[in-house]
Amino acid sequence: MMIEFMFYNPPVIVLVILIFALLMPLLGRYLGHLAGYIAALVAGFSFIVSLIFAFMISEGEKVKYVVLDYYSSIGIEVVLDSLTIYMMAVMSGISLAILLYSVPSIKKEVREKAIGWYYTLYLLLLSAMFGIIMTNDLFNLYVFVEVVGISACALVIIKNDRASTEATLKYLLLTAIGSGFLLFGIGLTYAITGHLNLDHVHYSLAIFSYDFPFLMWTIITFYFIGFGIKAALMPFHVWLPDAHSKAPTASSAALSGLVVKAYIIGLIKVYNVLMQAPLFDFAHIKIAILILASIAMIGGSFFAYVQHDLKRRLAYSSVAQIGYIFLGISLGTVSALTASFLHILHHGVVKACLFMTAGSIYYQTEETDVRNLSGLGFKMPITFTAFTIASLSMIGLPLFSGFITKWYLAVGSIEADNYIFVILIVISGLLNALYFFPIVWQGFFDPPAKDAPDSGWKIDKIPLPMLISTVVLAIFSIFIGLFPKYPLAIITDAVNNLDGFLFY
Amino acid sequence: MEVINDLIYNYPYFASIILFSVGCFIILAESNLIKKIIGINIMETSVFLFFIALGNIKGHSPPVISPYLTEEAAAQQLYINPLPSALVLTGIVVSLSITAFALVIVAKIYKYYGTIDSHEIFEIRSRKKW
Repeated sequence: MMIEFMFYNPPVIVLVILIFALLMPLLGRYLGHLAGYIAALVAGFSFIVSLIFAFMISEGEKVKYVVLDYYSSIGIEVVLDSLTIYMMAVMSGISLAILLYSVPSIKKEVREKAIGWYYTLYLLLLSAMFGIIMTNDLFNLYVFVEVVGISACALVIIKNDRASTEATLKYLLLTAIGSGFLLFGIGLTYAITGHLNLDHVHYSLAIFSYDFPFLMWTIITFYFIGFGIKAALMPFHVWLPDAHSKAPTASSAALSGLVVKAYIIGLIKVYNVLMQAPLFDFAHIKIAILILASIAMIGGSFFAYVQHDLKRRLAYSSVAQIGYIFLGISLGTVSALTASFLHILHHGVVKACLFMTAGSIYYQTEETDVRNLSGLGFKMPITFTAFTIASLSMIGLPLFSGFITKWYLAVGSIEADNYIFVILIVISGLLNALYFFPIVWQGFFDPPAKDAPDSGWKIDKIPLPMLISTVVLAIFSIFIGLFPKYPLAIITDAVNNLDGFLFY
Repeated sequence: MEVINDLIYNYPYFASIILFSVGCFIILAESNLIKKIIGINIMETSVFLFFIALGNIKGHSPPVISPYLTEEAAAQQLYINPLPSALVLTGIVVSLSITAFALVIVAKIYKYYGTIDSHEIFEIRSRKKW
């Protein structure tokens, strides 16, 4: 009954998360760091709700809800379809693991007074990401993008030391440039079409875009630059390594795994409409994205190889993986888009797991340099096994989720008659192996340092919630690798609904 | 000639694009952090100018029905578009919050380094071992 009410009134979920976000400082005051468990319960609730939605929605169905019952060209329209529900499940599911992890880990990184506020910011971020995913209205999209931007910056700076402050300044300035471009693009869209609702924009563009060829070009480019800066595609990735490596561990996992993907979904929503307009190919934006994504795949991996700080290496690895997602989007065949959406899930799970293991290693040994990890597989076997599984998944070995996405991406590039990208994917995977394998090798096969007191098998000395969430994410990566049909069922429907991207 | 006439007739759009470019340039080129924040504001304000210019039509009345008119006269009156103004209000709130947040961060950076010039901060970072 309640689920059905939520199904036909989707903003209720965002509201529930927002209400709990505002309660968090109070709970933090009286419960201390235990408030994190309540935040995790909220994320778990939204996860369960989105799973139930996934069974409720039928193929190709779009549940539309107009806020306050205005007619849709003036009111704010919210849409629930396969893509939306899939992304909601990804966001809330990974958030559940991250929040569980953050309860013990945040005590070391954030001062006592700010713990309640930390969960406020996190739930704000989650609700705003839900908003980006669900909304069908351009200006509403902009507002949610801004909420995500500000709360993500605040999640970095809450560590309150020198490095995180600098990283936040860089992040905020570039985010502001991106917002300016995005808002200008929205303004130009409104100038041409006179609508902000994406469906109406679609109908108007079919009529009016012939009169403004160069303005269409400008709009497409502005959206691309705005979302590109926020989603850290290769030439615009300057802020990402700093912000993602200097943040608290839980924030790093959320920023790398979820926030960037929310922006990518925003880009997909907007381009899905713009690509159906005539004159879209006039801008040659697909070729531009292809080139930039290829540069990101290779360049990000190279940059990751020369980093010696573990979290920075993971952050540059994120840049490479974002290249994969954009590559799938720009190839535009069914398999490539499927690969993109699957990669969003795979990268979210695996990168969150890797950041969490990095945080656990720092928690126990205070070690951040990748060259000093020898013999760690004996000191923290469970954590390091999770790290190994996640690394192998990143490289894309069979049995793990990374293999499935790369397989679909390769099939997609063959469908699009671009065989060179198959070679690129293989090269990028080998580069991934180049910077992940040494860590794994050191941990399990190198002798520990000479001054180490003893070198037997020990059990990890980190709190239980941290252990549970890392292990669950690692197991989930294997689960996707073995049974890809469960996520693929809903992804296939989501891809079939994206009329704008598909050539054939 | 045609193009120049169009530009003069639609001068708000032209001004907003110039301001947008200037703001973007200031963010990227100025080394002073406060000036960078000013650049953000110039950029966002230029977009607001663009929105307002979109909604405005010369010689039309604001979208408020006057009590002195009969209903037929009010229906025949031509009004400007109120929607861009509503969007600009929201945009101003967002811009203000970003500005406030950025100023707080700059204040913190001043506490750490004793300067708000990014070149000097870079020098200090390269000299000191943290």
